[in-house]
Amino acid sequence: MAGFIDVQNVRKVYTTGGGDIEAVSGASFSVEEGEFVAILGPSGCGKSTLLMMAAGLESISSGQIDIASTPMKGPRTSVGIMFQDNTLLPWKTVLENILFPVRIQRRPIEEYRQRAMDLIETVGLRGFADKKPHQLSGGMKQRVSICRALVTDPDILLMDEPFSALDAMTRDEMNDALLSIWDRYRKTALFVTHSIREAVYLSDRVLVMTRRPATVVADIKIPFPRPRSRTIGETPEFNEICARLRGMIDRERLPGSAELAA
Amino acid sequence: MKPAYASGTWRGERFYAFFLPLVTGILVLGAWQYAVKAYNVSPVIMPAPLDILLSFKGIGAELAHHAWVTGKESLLAFFLSCVIGVVLAYLLSLSDTLFASFYPNLVVFQIIPKIALAPMFTFWLGIASTSRISYAIFISFFPVMLAMMSGLSRADVNALRLCKSIGASKWQTLFSVQTPYALPYFFTGAKVAATMSTIGIVTGELISANSGLGFYVVRAQSLGQTPKVFCALLVLCVVGLAVYAIPVQAEARARRWWRGS
Repeated sequence: MAGFIDVQNVRKVYTTGGGDIEAVSGASFSVEEGEFVAILGPSGCGKSTLLMMAAGLESISSGQIDIASTPMKGPRTSVGIMFQDNTLLPWKTVLENILFPVRIQRRPIEEYRQRAMDLIETVGLRGFADKKPHQLSGGMKQRVSICRALVTDPDILLMDEPFSALDAMTRDEMNDALLSIWDRYRKTALFVTHSIREAVYLSDRVLVMTRRPATVVADIKIPFPRPRSRTIGETPEFNEICARLRGMIDRERLPGSAELAA
Repeated sequence: MKPAYASGTWRGERFYAFFLPLVTGILVLGAWQYAVKAYNVSPVIMPAPLDILLSFKGIGAELAHHAWVTGKESLLAFFLSCVIGVVLAYLLSLSDTLFASFYPNLVVFQIIPKIALAPMFTFWLGIASTSRISYAIFISFFPVMLAMMSGLSRADVNALRLCKSIGASKWQTLFSVQTPYALPYFFTGAKVAATMSTIGIVTGELISANSGLGFYVVRAQSLGQTPKVFCALLVLCVVGLAVYAIPVQAEARARRWWRGS
């Protein structure tokens, strides 16, 4: 039957002065427990909107999202979210930022402190617990934000283009860091990106979204075994998958080209 | 273009930042002194700077007493303005109904030339310090409220989404995220309120009081003791600066807390 996250015919319509704008039209897919799924698409195709609906931060115009067979209504606290920017609170130290959800949810801080320290260790930030965000590099800040997303041990990890503001080299490093964390904690993960290689490198499945219609048009399985290392990026199989995905996105994006291809 | 005083050399910096304004100030005072003496102006009309300094002799204790009264009341008015401004900003930010009901009215209320209402405060509340402090708060709380409200709405959008996603209540979001983000705005408003509070207290004292620097000015003037009026003005500058120093210091502390250095 249905997966752990079950998206059924979800639409999102924004009503503006100039008429209705359909940001997402009839998206359906499901994600198994412990699966890492990337949503890949050009900017402005509604993929972030879809993720925010899954987080309960955007209302659903029609359709339904079930998580663990329960329909979503509003934010669910057992979800960890990473945003495009690190969203760290500048006046809090690394440790305080990571423990922020614990404090807000009035969980016992002391019980989570050790877990926070373990996470800091796992992302390679040992010795930085008492630093403030402005003392860290962009990549380090995003590592802190991963820790914050995971500190309350949520069952789902939602990531909205978390590394797109970073330079290419830092981004590669962050992908490796994310993989090693994910191998350790195995959360059901939804990862929104517009980088084809990033999507293929990280995930078990890639969902392709396009602007017209703003919906999921393809669902590609990524066959590489885990744990993965960056060397898979040089294999012909990897590049073949990337080329196929590139083709799908280009075909949908160029005006009139869909008709030509048909 | 880079201003000349930013040249970075020791000589350039000292010259422009310290020596030049000092010399200009002394020259202006010198011209004042010379003009008064050369044209034999009566000290009742315009005393010379040196005569003003000399007339401090013998009135120091009395001035200190009045300065203490004005300073104390200004401080109290300043703190209460900050509290009232912040509380109102919280209420209007939390409730759309309150915002819609009160905000436009508060803006219209700001257009009233409030100085014209100063005598009414004496009429309503009498000549005790309550009337002066109330008037000072009346003219000072609004800048704090306005700055705080704009600060509360400037919190990072994703930080607010984060709060929502982890199930934070309105109050939790307000205190743990919006308020720290609003601090720089708050201090801008608080600095205006610090100046306005002192002005409000002195205005009240000019109208009716039996102590305070404003009272001293009125009395000295009515007795034709113009040099003493100027002495009181100098002391008033010091009092104003002392009140203003509070938000400035607090802001520096808050900045250190933010940056953690």
